Order: sequence, then C-alpha cells, then structure tokens
Amino acid sequence: MNTVNLSRRGFLKSAGIVGGGLFVGFSLEGCGDSGVLPIAGLDGAFVPNAFLQITPENLVRFYCPRDEMGQGVLTGLATLIAEELDVAPEDIDLAFAGAHPDYNNPDFNLQLTGGSSSLKAHYYPLRQAAANVRAVLVDAAATSLKVPAGSIRTDNAHLLVSGERLPYGQFVAHASTLKLPEQAPLKAKTEFKYIGSEFPRLDAMAKSTGTAVYGIDVDIPGMHHALVKRSPVAGARLVSLDAAKALAMPGVTDVVEISAGVAVVAEKFWQAKKAVELIEVQWSRLPLDELSSAQMRADYEQAMRNEPGDATAERGDMDAATAGNNITIDSEYWAPHLAHAPLEPMNAVVRIADGEADVWSGTQSPSTAQGLVARYAGLDKSRVRVHNTYLGGGFGRRAILTHIVEATETALASGKPIQLLWTREDDIRNGFLRPASLMRIEAGVDADGIISQWRAKRVGGNVMPDSMASTLPGLLPTALPDTLINWSVNAARSAMDGLVVDATSVEGLFEDYDFPNREVRHITLDHGLPLTTWRSVGHSYTAFAVESAIDQLAQASGRDPVQLRLDNTRNNPRLHHIIRIAGERMSGLSPASGHGLGLAVHSSFGSYVAQVAEVSVADGNIRVHRVVCVVDCGQVVNPDIVRAQMEGGIIYGLTAALYGNLEVEKGTIVQSNFHDYPMLRMNESPSVEVVIVDSNEDPTGVGEPGVPPIAPAVANAVFAVTGQRLRELPLRLG
Amino acid sequence: MIGFTLNGKYVETADDADTPLLWVVRDTFKLKGSKFGCGAGLCGACTMHVDGEPMRTCTLPVTAVADRNVMTIEGLGTPDEPHPLQAVWAEQGVPQCGYCQSGQIMSAAALLASNAEPTEVDVDRALSGNICRCGCYPRIKRAVLTVADAGKDADQ
Repeated sequence: MNTVNLSRRGFLKSAGIVGGGLFVGFSLEGCGDSGVLPIAGLDGAFVPNAFLQITPENLVRFYCPRDEMGQGVLTGLATLIAEELDVAPEDIDLAFAGAHPDYNNPDFNLQLTGGSSSLKAHYYPLRQAAANVRAVLVDAAATSLKVPAGSIRTDNAHLLVSGERLPYGQFVAHASTLKLPEQAPLKAKTEFKYIGSEFPRLDAMAKSTGTAVYGIDVDIPGMHHALVKRSPVAGARLVSLDAAKALAMPGVTDVVEISAGVAVVAEKFWQAKKAVELIEVQWSRLPLDELSSAQMRADYEQAMRNEPGDATAERGDMDAATAGNNITIDSEYWAPHLAHAPLEPMNAVVRIADGEADVWSGTQSPSTAQGLVARYAGLDKSRVRVHNTYLGGGFGRRAILTHIVEATETALASGKPIQLLWTREDDIRNGFLRPASLMRIEAGVDADGIISQWRAKRVGGNVMPDSMASTLPGLLPTALPDTLINWSVNAARSAMDGLVVDATSVEGLFEDYDFPNREVRHITLDHGLPLTTWRSVGHSYTAFAVESAIDQLAQASGRDPVQLRLDNTRNNPRLHHIIRIAGERMSGLSPASGHGLGLAVHSSFGSYVAQVAEVSVADGNIRVHRVVCVVDCGQVVNPDIVRAQMEGGIIYGLTAALYGNLEVEKGTIVQSNFHDYPMLRMNESPSVEVVIVDSNEDPTGVGEPGVPPIAPAVANAVFAVTGQRLRELPLRLG
Repeated sequence: MIGFTLNGKYVETADDADTPLLWVVRDTFKLKGSKFGCGAGLCGACTMHVDGEPMRTCTLPVTAVADRNVMTIEGLGTPDEPHPLQAVWAEQGVPQCGYCQSGQIMSAAALLASNAEPTEVDVDRALSGNICRCGCYPRIKRAVLTVADAGKDADQ
C-alpha cells in the first residue's frame, strides 16, 4: 500500500509532488517578490522581529500573524507574547500583520489561518520570540546600569533593578544595538502568569461598541461601491449583456465585465444594488445546467454500490475478522452540501494607483490576498499592501478569495477605488460549498466487545482541487503564468480521482478507535460545484457516520454505549479519558420526562471532544435542551475562549444537524437567504456546560473540534427517545 | 432632503427616499457599527432604535424615519463610557467574531428599556430575531440577565 495523503497541512508540498516537481526551483517562503516587513515603524521604536515593537514611551505593540474570525486567536497569541515578554495582555497594543513570509503559519508554511492550528503552531515560536526580546531588554538594562543580569526581574513591561521600577521603553534604544539571543529560556508551566488564567478576550469591548473594524467598514476617499450580477450556475460565461437601464440609474458610474460576471459600480451601495437588478444578461450553457441534488444523490448511491474505490488506512486482516463470530451492522449515512454563511458577507476594498495597490479585507490568508491583487493588477507583490481587518466569521469561507479578484478586476476596469460587496443571496447561491457525502459503514463486534472489523467508505467530491485552484494564483510568484497553475491544479484534480486520496475527504472515519482490522475506501465523485473546507472539514460529516455506527453497534450487541467506547479506545488514552468523564457526567444527568440522552465523541485537529445531548421530540420537531461537553485540548491558554469555542461549535454544528441543506435544481442553488437556509436562533439554543480536562500536553486548537460530535450526539439521543435511527443530515423524523 | 435625529443630532440627507436607513447611516453618515447581514430583515445585524423601538434598518426606507429619533450602537455607549450592557458584554467575553453584536445589544437595550426584569423567555422572544452565526446565544442571554439583575439590585 502506498497512498500519498494530501492533507491541508502539506498541500503545497504535496501539490509539488503531484505536479511532477513543478515547484522545484523556488521556495514558497521566499517568493522573490515579497518585500520588506509590512510594519508601520513607530517613532524611535525597537523592532526586534516581525511581531513586536516597543517604543521609548513603553508602548508594546504586537502584530498578530493569524486572522481573528471569532476564534479568539488575537487574545490567544497575545497571551503567549504577554507571558514571555512579561506584559499584561490587556496592556498590549494589538495590530493585524500585513502580508510577509515571516507571518507564515509554521504548520502550513504559508500565511493561512485554519485547521485549528494557530496555538499549536505558534505556542513555542511566539513565546521564544518574546522571551528573546525580554532577555535583550534585561541585557540592555544590565549593561547600561552595570548590574548583573541575574539580579534583574521584570513585571508588566517594567524592569525591576535594585529596587527601582524602570519601563522597558527606557532601554529600547540600547537594546536595538545588542545582539538578540535566539534561545532565551522559556518559562515553566508553574511560572505562568497569564497562560491558563481566567480573563475575557481582549477584543470584546471593541466588538460590543461597534468600534471593531471589519472589511465592510473600510471607507477610503473616492471609494465607489460595486455589486456583481452573477451566473446562477457555477462557471457560466457571459454571452450577452445589456447594461443600458443600469447605466441610466442615478449614481451609477460604470458597468464592467469581470471574470465572475458583470460588476455595477456606483457612488453608493444602494444605487449599485438597485442598478444590478436591471442588468440583462445571457449566460453560456453548461453541462451543470441540468444538475440536481436528486441526481447527485442517485449518482453517489450507484457509485457506492458499484465501485470499489481507493483504499487507505488499512490495518489487520479484514477477511479473518469477518470470519469471526460477530454481531454486525451495515448502514449508509448522508450529509448534504452546506454554505458557511458567515454573518459578514464577502467583501474587499481595492485601490490601484501609481503602480501600487492596497487591499483591505478580513481574510484567512493575507498573503493570498496580496498575490491575487498583484497577479490581476499586473503588479509585483512588493507593490501590494494588505490591510487585514477583523473577520465577521470565517469557518473556512474566508480562505477563498475570489471576491478580492473581483474587486481588483473592477478597480482596474473602472479606474476607481472599489468596495465590492456580496449580498447574502450571492453568499448562499454562489459560494464554495461543504461537499455532500454518502458514507457506508460495515462493522462487527466480537464476543468480548471488541470492534473487530471496521469498513468505512465515502463517496463525494474533494475540497483540495477547488481550494488550490482559487488560492495558488495568489500564492505562486506573479511571474508564473496561469497556464502552468491550471496545469498543476488539473494534475492534482485527476490524481485525487483514483491515484491518491484527499486526506480531508476521509479524515475522522477511522482514527479514534482501536479497530484491529480496518479499511477505508474512497470514491471521488465530483459534479463540478465549487467546494472548499467548512468548519471541521471532513470531520463535519465523518463523525456523524462513525458515532452513529458505534451507537448502533452498542445497541445491536446489547452493550452500554459508553462501555463499548471505553473498551475500544485502549490505545487512545486521551480519548478514553474524556469518554470516561463524559460517561460519568451522563449517568449523573437526570433528563426530564420524555427527554433522552445521546453521547458522541470525536478527535479532530489534535483535540478530543465528547458531547452529551439532552433531547426531546414533539410534533416531529427535535429540540436540544442541554449539552454537556468535555474537551481535552492540551495546555489551555485561555479557558474562557475554550468554553466559548465549544459553545459556538456546538451551536454551529446544531444548525447543520437540524437545518443545513443546500439543494441544487437545474444547476442552481435553491436556497438564497436565512428564510430558507435557516440558522439556529436563541430560542432554539441549548444551554451548554463545558468541562475542560487538565492537561500538560502542548496546546491544540478549539475552533473546529467542537463541531463534529454534536450531530451524532443528537441523533443518538433521538434514538433514545423515539427508537428511530436517523442516518441523514439534517435530522428529520420519519 | 429627509431629516431625522441621529444619536441626538439633527441630520439631513439627499439620498433616494427608498434607501434603507442602514445604508444612509453607513454610507452617508459614515457610522459603521450597524452591520449588513442579510438585506431582508432576517438576521438583525442592522438593528437600530427608532423612537426607542428596535427596527431592522436594512429594509426600512429612510423616509420612514423622517423627523424621528434614530439611535445606533455608537449612540448607546463608547469603549470609555459603555452602556451597562456593553460593559457586561466585555466582562463576560460575549462576542466571538462580533459582527452581530451591535444588533444583539440594540435589541437587548430596547428590551431592558421596556422591561427591567425580563425572564429567560422574554429574552428569547426579544432576541430570537438576531442571528449569531458564531453561536454566542448562551452568553448573550446570560449577559442580558446579568444587567437586568444588577438594575434590580440598584433599585433596592
């Protein structure tokens, strides 16, 4: 067996492999045209690295290399700096970094925020960067005051020297002349002042007073507003255009053809909005024009029956296991296409003037934004400044930056600074989707309660090819022609259909349990809808299949679902531990009459989460009253943010479990806004209790891992209440 | 010209009469705290007070507020002088992405102005028109009840 797994972590490296060594000869890190550090130098400041500036007035500014989309990364990473630099987190001046290789995510080797990677990837590098700066400040004080460095202590941006309290700022000029140490000692856990302590996130007041700036809030002189008339079917080209009525509307200045359709430019948003509805267009016919959700589902079912698929993650001897005296199940599970629906619709401001460009947008990849503007404006990357903002939700959607391409094309064609905004209808109908999945699990429990065979199979599209296609033009050097980029994307696309398995398509199907004999098979079936990563990626659907199947096995073999999980996680001690805690909590709950409990557990992105849902069913409606969540994410940096991410992940996952269903008719998405693509609301929201497991392991992320267990926990609870086993998302009672 | 009072100050706009109040406030008066989420009155991110009533301003033509009192999140409080709801929101770490929170807080402020001792059901009823995609609902509810409780204590 020789399977190349294309995980997101390594996708560029892997793309290099798939592309036959295409990328050999230049490193992505040093793209040649990346330019100087995008730091606005404060007056007289000490700039020891890309992340920190300290002024003579003792202002400590932190340039956060990751993107704040609600997950709390700004607070989390500032806390790492605070700990080792010894500055109170609330006293740090926070800024978002621009685009530069120094801000690459060490996990991906590119400037991307995702995969719940930020704390894990930055836990040591950022602490080290801060510890080195603290050490050089101590050194500066020691040499200028002629005292031994060992006698100096620090406290909240001050040096404590011979009974005096001197601000760091007093020594920044001298520190700039000294050699920065590379390996200053880091604090031991027992010395932590801020890591692991209880304090509210640092951006909460700005976000409670309307003063936090999102991309949509950016307003620059001369800025015009653009909306795009888009094809209802993905990928259609413009065949004919009549813009006369739109151009006659007040305030409308330009109507320009761009790659996504027709952009209408006006002085104000509402003028553009009214005018774009008057644009008359015809689109090219596509094979996708006849596509429907029912057809896709039928194709998936046929492939599941008829195609063996590509094998991966094999272990043990499936034939021997099958021959044993097992109690078996064989079930199929369905998860539909979904939209991310972040509450801030996609938008970007782009200004191109005098051979330079600026882009303002909240994205999960500022360097991609930079590269896309450079490529489409015909500029060197060093001539493009990226101004990252707060993100009004990300969930994977803001790693895809076609709106920045659209804004760049519109700015170029109109000659004006442009704010391009998607409507909610654009977002639901024209976005990149969470792929639909049909999954089948055949499994058996032996007489000792060991799950002795586990065969999982998934049919669906892969997220990697489309994500690469929209991202690589921004990541690769602007000198590399589009034809070569397209060639490598197509090479990856065809490789993932039969040669290699996109690891994100099967992640979560096999990892958690001991499974002495197991096999995972994957069938790529891609109808051509644009796909990308959606909060928790493959885990968002695989956990539903796996944790429903485990519950079915328990029921079929007459075993307790907690005990069956404990008996089959002996090689996974951290998961085993949270199952035990969740099981104890579950047996302590006394659900109201007519309510039932369901348990699901799942690890993703290095974190372990168990959830117990208390559910009732009335008039065919599923109501989730309470969720108890147990999480092990290693060393906790900010307990309140861990709790918030579990609460939010559960509610995000509940929207998908109870409502989420994006349907296609004649190649067009049927849903369009929150009336037919509903979100969970406060009156439907459960109470959530979060139990954080104490751990000495290094930190792992919490943005995504709270999502996967909730759908199966609710489905298992519905079974407990009704005896009905629901194997399709969204959960609907028969 | 259409005139109205915006956060205590009389303003006039030449925007088209059908322009939703949200866009007059954002594009013409450059107050960006109120957000665009759906354009259809479905998510509540654009909520402002009109004569003290919480209104979805993404569908409310500006003519409808002629000579009336409009208050936005900017008029409710500032980081230096926050409204009690804003102070508790920050203390309890309510926001995640934060994009919906102006609307949530405006709905909550209108509730407390008309009902100083709301029950959980009252809070649900007043805020279920405000979508939070990040799922901050348990914290939003707790924060509103905390402020209501504090107000009750202050009255005693």
